[in-house]
Amino acid sequence: MALAFCGLLGIGILATRPEHPAVRVAAVAVGALSIVTLSWNLRRRAGITSREAEILADKLVEEYDVLEQRLEDERDARLMIERYFDALMEHIPSSLYFKDLESRFLKVNQKMAESFGCDHPTDMLGRTDHDFFGGTHADDALEDERRIIQTGKGVIGKVEFEEFVGGKQGWVLTTKMPFREHNGRVIGTFGMSSDVTELMETRNTLERERNMLRSLIDSFPDRIFVRDPERHYLVVNRRLAEWAGVGGPDEMLGKKPEDFFPQRRTKKGIQEDLDLLAGDREVVTREWSTRMEDGEERMVVTTKVPWFDRDGRCVGIVGMDRDVTDERRARVQLAETQRRLQEVMDNSPAVVYMKSREGCYLMVNRGFEEMFGLQREDVLGRSDEEILSDKEAAAAFRERDLEVIERGTTEPLDEQFFVAGEPRWYATVRFPLRDERGEIYAVGGVSTDVTDRREAEDSMKRLNYELVKTNEDLQRAHEQLIQAEKMESVGRLASGVAHEVKNPLAMIGMGLELLARRIPEEDDAGRETIERMKRGIERANRIVRGLVDFSSARQFKLEPARPNHVFRDALSLVEYQLKKENVKVVEEFGKNLPMVEVDLPKLEQVLVNLLINAQQAMEKGGRITVRTYETRLSDIKRDQGLRTSRHLRMNDHVVCLEVEDTGPGIPEENLKKLYDPFFTTKPTGVGTGLGLSVSRKIVELHQGRLELFNREDGLGAIARITLNACADPEVAAES
Amino acid sequence: MKTTRLLIIDDEPDFSALLKANLEEAGSFEVREVNDSSQAIETIWSFKPDLCLIDVVMPGMDGGDVVAKIREDPALATLPVMMLTALVEENPESSDGETMTGGLAFVSKTSSFETILACIEKHLEEAGV
Repeated sequence: MALAFCGLLGIGILATRPEHPAVRVAAVAVGALSIVTLSWNLRRRAGITSREAEILADKLVEEYDVLEQRLEDERDARLMIERYFDALMEHIPSSLYFKDLESRFLKVNQKMAESFGCDHPTDMLGRTDHDFFGGTHADDALEDERRIIQTGKGVIGKVEFEEFVGGKQGWVLTTKMPFREHNGRVIGTFGMSSDVTELMETRNTLERERNMLRSLIDSFPDRIFVRDPERHYLVVNRRLAEWAGVGGPDEMLGKKPEDFFPQRRTKKGIQEDLDLLAGDREVVTREWSTRMEDGEERMVVTTKVPWFDRDGRCVGIVGMDRDVTDERRARVQLAETQRRLQEVMDNSPAVVYMKSREGCYLMVNRGFEEMFGLQREDVLGRSDEEILSDKEAAAAFRERDLEVIERGTTEPLDEQFFVAGEPRWYATVRFPLRDERGEIYAVGGVSTDVTDRREAEDSMKRLNYELVKTNEDLQRAHEQLIQAEKMESVGRLASGVAHEVKNPLAMIGMGLELLARRIPEEDDAGRETIERMKRGIERANRIVRGLVDFSSARQFKLEPARPNHVFRDALSLVEYQLKKENVKVVEEFGKNLPMVEVDLPKLEQVLVNLLINAQQAMEKGGRITVRTYETRLSDIKRDQGLRTSRHLRMNDHVVCLEVEDTGPGIPEENLKKLYDPFFTTKPTGVGTGLGLSVSRKIVELHQGRLELFNREDGLGAIARITLNACADPEVAAES
Repeated sequence: MKTTRLLIIDDEPDFSALLKANLEEAGSFEVREVNDSSQAIETIWSFKPDLCLIDVVMPGMDGGDVVAKIREDPALATLPVMMLTALVEENPESSDGETMTGGLAFVSKTSSFETILACIEKHLEEAGV
């Protein structure tokens, strides 16, 4: 009985929980065992015949086999399901998890484990989000799960911005559902999440671009549209809506141009659209004009192209209307301005050109063409390097242009070009040309032929130089003339005075002659008086004679003479007086001196004068050194002091005759007055004050120079006569 | 013995008077002086001098003009003349101190009386007076 019960129990178990494999195995085992035992007991105890028992047992065994087969099939099916689930868990690109009611992980897949920073899904079992994340994220997840468990409602396709383990941020698509057992009771939650960051970013980018595009076409000054093959507007920008006179682009969508514009305007467009859609034309560009309500005529250019889809099928038309009224007007004005400019430049005598920063000609004028013998068609767009045969000149031009670009300043310059083989001078001004931003985009140049001017300037400079020189000469001559006139007037005065003075002197002389014969022999005092008076007359005569000498216009008779001989002759005239005054004479005569041309008596008179002056300068006697030597003039200024063609010049071969004393020298203040007529430092009666002025005049008549100066050591004065050496070699060689 | 007649033509009366006095004291000369040169030729005709002593610088007719007038007149052309003037200096190169220029003898007024007298005598001698 017990065994039968067990067998029935096993079947019963099997009947109540057929889906549970363990239960089914146990039930089948218990069932099989009970059936075997039952058949044996039935045969032994109940007195069933063995045939009946066998039939029963076979039935039971058959029953058992069927059960066992069913069990086997069930197990296989379950194993397949488990394999499907595991494969799904393992290969799905999303994270999958199951949690219990306390939000502890029951099962996760590898993807999930990795996203939580774990090596293996088992590492996460029994743990919660709080074990992996900071507060907010884990709290939010927990909150979600509690709500799902309470309400039994899941969250499907929620996109969240999340921070992942490791700090990375991104977008996640999450689905969370209640986890129920077979009777529907919620025993936890399960969920699936996918990283959709890339997708979201792409979506955002697309969104942004779409907005940008929209803004762009709306902000375009042109009128933009896209139409479908039936000419319904698909896209319209704000300008087109304004042009059509509607509130906004949306009002035009789905409608046709004919709904907004008069037929005369749309007629041509329809045919064009058909051509484009049929593939007969690739692009349509049409310029048209329309008169506005205010009467103003506006020029418009319409451009349309077919719009193709990804497969290359024409799915519409993209087009644009541009108002070109201002542009056309500006172009006409610009052309006019350019034509005027070119005309002005072509008629300018200057050479005008403009080059790009790269050195290519942008513009040249007729002067340029003529100068280089080139046509502008051959010049424009080319560089100097390309158009000039003189590569050196081309390089120089380029360098100067670059200087202008670099400095940004206007550079004036005089340049020489060879035009038709002739050197010509040009005054060139190079200047930078700037665009509205102030950037230099070109270099301009204006060259004016100034060859004639330069030549004129050169000759002007020469003339000017000559003028200055002449002026200097004139000035000098003028000064000399003034001096000469002064001297001449003194001379004229002197000769007039001489005559007027000599007449009374002659009269007094005659009177004295008469009186002398009337004075008795014994009247010594009377005779003495007569003698004194005669001496007075003689003195007055001497002065007058000096004056006359000074102003004498007597012809000079120049003859070659040896300087030393002249000096010795003069010395012999004063030898006695010098000796008497205790003056020693030292001769330092040069040897083999060249001859000089002199008026012997006159020059002797000068030398005597100088010797007497020297002697008189030394009251208590002293030494006079007479010196002759030859030299080359090095200290004379140009044309100094003289006004004839034969005067002394730099580097002349000259002979000097010097008289040097050991007196006190000439006081500084007297140096300038030495040659003035009547200037004297001697006591009245000793000198006439005419000596030096007459002497100087005589020396000058020899084309020579008379100088008086103090010795550098201050021990006396030197008088020096400088005369040109005889140029005639025959005369010079004469001994 | 016939006295020698000397005519002094000079605009300086002081000089001519003193020369006249000296000459008259020095020898047998009859001396007359003319201080206005315009009277010179007239006086020559009336006085008939053997030698004329003529000053050069005179107002109106100067010495040169007077000599020219004399030379113009054939009757007077051979009349000896001697220029006595303050314009020239005594010539140191000549023994008698005269300067001969243009056929005329120039004697300096400032020469001593002896020199002047010697010159006068020389010219008289030359003229055969």
